[in-house]
Amino acid sequence: MGEKIKITINGKELLATPGKTILQVAEENGIEIPHYCYHPGLPVAGNCRMCLVEVEGARKLQTACSTKISDGMVVRTNTPQVRETVKQVLEFLLINHPLDCPVCDQAGECGLQDYYMVYGQYDPKFIENKNKKSKKATPIGKYVMLDQERCILCARCVRFTRFITKTEELGIFNRGDHSELDVYPGKELNNRYTGNLVDICPVGALTCRDFRFQCRVWYLEEFDSICPGCSRGCNIKIYYNPHRPHKAEGKRVLRFKPRPNLKVNRYWMCDDGRYGYKFIDENRIMYPLLKENGKQSEIYYDEALKKFADYLKENIPDRVIYLLSANSTNEELYVTKKFFVENYELENIFLPAEDIFTGDKDDLLITEDKHPNTNGVKAIFNILYKDFIKLDELREMIERKSISLLIVNRHELLDEVLEYVRENNVKLVYLGTNFNKTAKVADLVIPISVFAEKEGSFINVDKLFQMFTSRLEPLGVSVPEWVLFNNLSEILEYPLSYSSYKTVLKQMISEVVGFKNIDLNNFDKYGEMVEL
Amino acid sequence: MSIEISENLRKKIEEIKNKFPTGKSPILPLLHAFQDELGYISLEVEEEIANIVGVSPVYVREVSTFYSMFNNQPVGKYHIQVCGNITCWLRGYDEIVEYIKKKLGIDIGETTSDGKFTLSRVECLGMCDHAPVMQINGDFYGDLTFEKIDEILDSLE
Amino acid sequence: MSVKILTKHFGIKDSHKINVYMKNGGYKQAEKALKEMKPEEILEEVKKSNLRGRGGAGFPTGLKWSFVPKDTGKPVYLCVNSDESEPGTFKDRHILEKDPHMLIEGIIITSYTIGANEAYIYIRGEYYPQAIRLQEAIEEAYQKGFLGENIFGTGYKLDLKIYRGAGAYICGEETALLESIEGKKGKPRLKPPFPAAVGLYDCPTVINNVETIADIPTIVEKGGEWFASLGPERNGGTKLFAVSGHVNKPGVYEHEMGYPLMKLINEDAGGILDGLKLKAVIPGGSSVPILRAEECDINLDYDSVMKAGSMLGSGAVIVMSEKTCMVKALSRLIHFYKDESCGQCTPCREGTGWMLKIINRIIAGKGRKEDVDTLYYIAKGIMGHTVCPLGDAAAMPVISFINKFRDEFEYYAINKKSMVE
Repeated sequence: MGEKIKITINGKELLATPGKTILQVAEENGIEIPHYCYHPGLPVAGNCRMCLVEVEGARKLQTACSTKISDGMVVRTNTPQVRETVKQVLEFLLINHPLDCPVCDQAGECGLQDYYMVYGQYDPKFIENKNKKSKKATPIGKYVMLDQERCILCARCVRFTRFITKTEELGIFNRGDHSELDVYPGKELNNRYTGNLVDICPVGALTCRDFRFQCRVWYLEEFDSICPGCSRGCNIKIYYNPHRPHKAEGKRVLRFKPRPNLKVNRYWMCDDGRYGYKFIDENRIMYPLLKENGKQSEIYYDEALKKFADYLKENIPDRVIYLLSANSTNEELYVTKKFFVENYELENIFLPAEDIFTGDKDDLLITEDKHPNTNGVKAIFNILYKDFIKLDELREMIERKSISLLIVNRHELLDEVLEYVRENNVKLVYLGTNFNKTAKVADLVIPISVFAEKEGSFINVDKLFQMFTSRLEPLGVSVPEWVLFNNLSEILEYPLSYSSYKTVLKQMISEVVGFKNIDLNNFDKYGEMVEL
Repeated sequence: MSIEISENLRKKIEEIKNKFPTGKSPILPLLHAFQDELGYISLEVEEEIANIVGVSPVYVREVSTFYSMFNNQPVGKYHIQVCGNITCWLRGYDEIVEYIKKKLGIDIGETTSDGKFTLSRVECLGMCDHAPVMQINGDFYGDLTFEKIDEILDSLE
Repeated sequence: MSVKILTKHFGIKDSHKINVYMKNGGYKQAEKALKEMKPEEILEEVKKSNLRGRGGAGFPTGLKWSFVPKDTGKPVYLCVNSDESEPGTFKDRHILEKDPHMLIEGIIITSYTIGANEAYIYIRGEYYPQAIRLQEAIEEAYQKGFLGENIFGTGYKLDLKIYRGAGAYICGEETALLESIEGKKGKPRLKPPFPAAVGLYDCPTVINNVETIADIPTIVEKGGEWFASLGPERNGGTKLFAVSGHVNKPGVYEHEMGYPLMKLINEDAGGILDGLKLKAVIPGGSSVPILRAEECDINLDYDSVMKAGSMLGSGAVIVMSEKTCMVKALSRLIHFYKDESCGQCTPCREGTGWMLKIINRIIAGKGRKEDVDTLYYIAKGIMGHTVCPLGDAAAMPVISFINKFRDEFEYYAINKKSMVE
């Protein structure tokens, strides 16, 4: 870390690390300096001029975003001159900006609105006609809408495509007050991180085509989670609408946004993950299903559990296969292991490797393993990639081992397996969150809740153990897998007796060898490294 | 879509690449060279230059639309650029430009229907000692009077 | 007869040709500098000369050169600012047309002094005939061996290239100029870092105006002290004054620093056109505060003009007679700055456009009394709040025009017509 230096902001003496800017030090100490163009994940531009502050000894106001601190520096962010300047810069930004907030989707989370409430509140002097720009609400990519009149030319988005994705689709064309943000004529955004452009746009210039006019943001609530889209484990916020589900056809979750974590995703997330939220509310398995006479019908949860228990009793463990899911949380995997390996003494418990190495990856965030917790399976079951089975070997294995009960957690089996299972009367149990072909032909289907409906943890590609919470109720009668197996264990009369998620978590941390460094009382919210 | 590049332009491109080998430096000289040859900077030209320099066409377009001398639309055979800044105005810009407008039957920013003349108002050309001035395709004409304008414009083929 | 440094060859036939230049002693100083002087010695002379940057800011040239860090392992560049776009300014054009070799000789000496082996002349795109002439001069210099490898047999190497701008006033701002040579939009950079440390292609770079560099051979020839003795204290040498507007003989006049403004207007430039009375003068290019006629009894050096409340700037003296409508005159300047704002910083981008809309509305007869205060308010909001000095350049004329001619502005706004016309 090195020596800290002393700097005074608004009369408050602070110790700070040399090399930082005034804005960074202020933010670290809870002193707000307004800004638009500055973004911690992007190179400094210094163009919006909102962060001008007084630095003792400087002839003019200085931009806090670009001015490095020095020992003994005295900064004031709240003098009448500074406030007057910020007010006027804001006024400049608003003269050519439409003042029709009620019809703008950004309303409620707009930087212009927010700062106007603090620094604006002036009698408008501008009575001229506003400049016209060429593009109003025009799609510039699959997920992004551009409205040039709302753009304040902070160039965050341009810097994002220039320095983060290095795809350079966006530019500011022309100059002066006719500058226009745009894509190249005839082209559109062509990168897998376009949703971030909407996040970093401080105003309504770039809005999300998926989210636009779905819900006013003030109706949304949010909670922290981890993106399950791949093994990167990007930190996210899940936004849901608890107040007006009738307006959204029962859809609760309306968007994901990244949450900064410098160890994982910095400030970003990919579009696949971001727009992959829909499975939470769509095509969900809500109630257990039992197949009788070739037709599935809903049954009570208790019946389903009993049926499952019967299957387990009727078939000896040697003739049972359980296919694990790398979408399960660590806690679920841990209880799965307790139940199936230690109590039921199942040996045929596998993680199918089929889709771990998809080859689809990049240098930024996207990993080829499209599961959030493959490393969780490895840590808890103590297995290596080489032990993973392939789905196209499954039919042969079922045949060779004379399997009579196949339990599948979320996977989609190959047609040839489904066919073999049907023809040979192998019982098929499907545990899952959403319907797929396998679920639709299973003898018994038991719903489990999705990650957003439960507490849990995943271990990402870099062996970072990350915990997440939930504020959504499980849909239907679905429960977390650990609850399911806990309940099942009682029916089978070797009760695991977990009273809560916390008891599972604590026991898991103390028992799993790779987790020995985790201290739950002192857990880093940005994740802890574990050993595999 | 690609554009046809003459032998002369090809030679110039090579010269520029050799003279300014660093980064994006060739962009401005290339824009000049293409405009000299083709009259204006079309999207195809921007994309061609982007290819030559190895950058996104966005980058080239940012530059070509930033600098006022690059025409992003076709202009007439003779591009008349009249200085409307302070000194030329002090010395009679208003009358001069009205006279040209009337003579050619076009407004500022327009091109005559035969495609011969485009009229633009530009900022200070650095010829204030000869105000009022205009520049036509690179050549300066100063100390303008109505008679002089007649003489100059009438002499252009 | 006053001393001539920069214009001494202007009357000679074919003064732009190398053999004419050499016949009059040209390239002797470069030879002397490279063969007989150490870079530190030249730097010392330039410091002693009190030469201040002729582009407009008046920063001491020797001091600027001394900021170049030694032994960074990176190449050092010299960039000569020939973007000359400040309205009213045309002095450098005369050097380019009539004595390009004096500039090239200055470039050789300067490059040698700062340790540069590559120099660029950034010339505004509109100066097309001038660029051709300069290119011819550079080729002549290469042929004579004054540029290229092993200059004067000293082993010193220098390449000199012209980079043409393309119509952007902002590229006269030194960091925008660097951006432009790097093939980018002319968007001024945040400072620090300063170009002396991080300039062209991230290398140490010195940027000097054409006139500044053209002074260098004479400083080497006659010594810094001699040069410093020409003007008042801290204002060494002669200066090119470009007089334009309502005068009988607009043109470039060279005088020692401290030359009286009224003498320049009445004697050199032949007095006010049509025998009219003087109304106002912008003494240093369009960006500097305007002076009323009664304030014009001043000497033209950096400090004296500053004391009078304006700036010497580029030495472009724009003269306005009593028939000038100040509202319309200011509208020209606002139009200019609005057109030339790069659009990067909020206050300059939005403020210049706003000011133009107001002043055009006043001129169109739709003014309101409070418009004058609003103009002033906008200018104050731009002033000092932007990355580069263009914001100040746009604000200063507005502030000074209103300060000095408020009655005319209010008259126009209220009566919907000019007080003068």
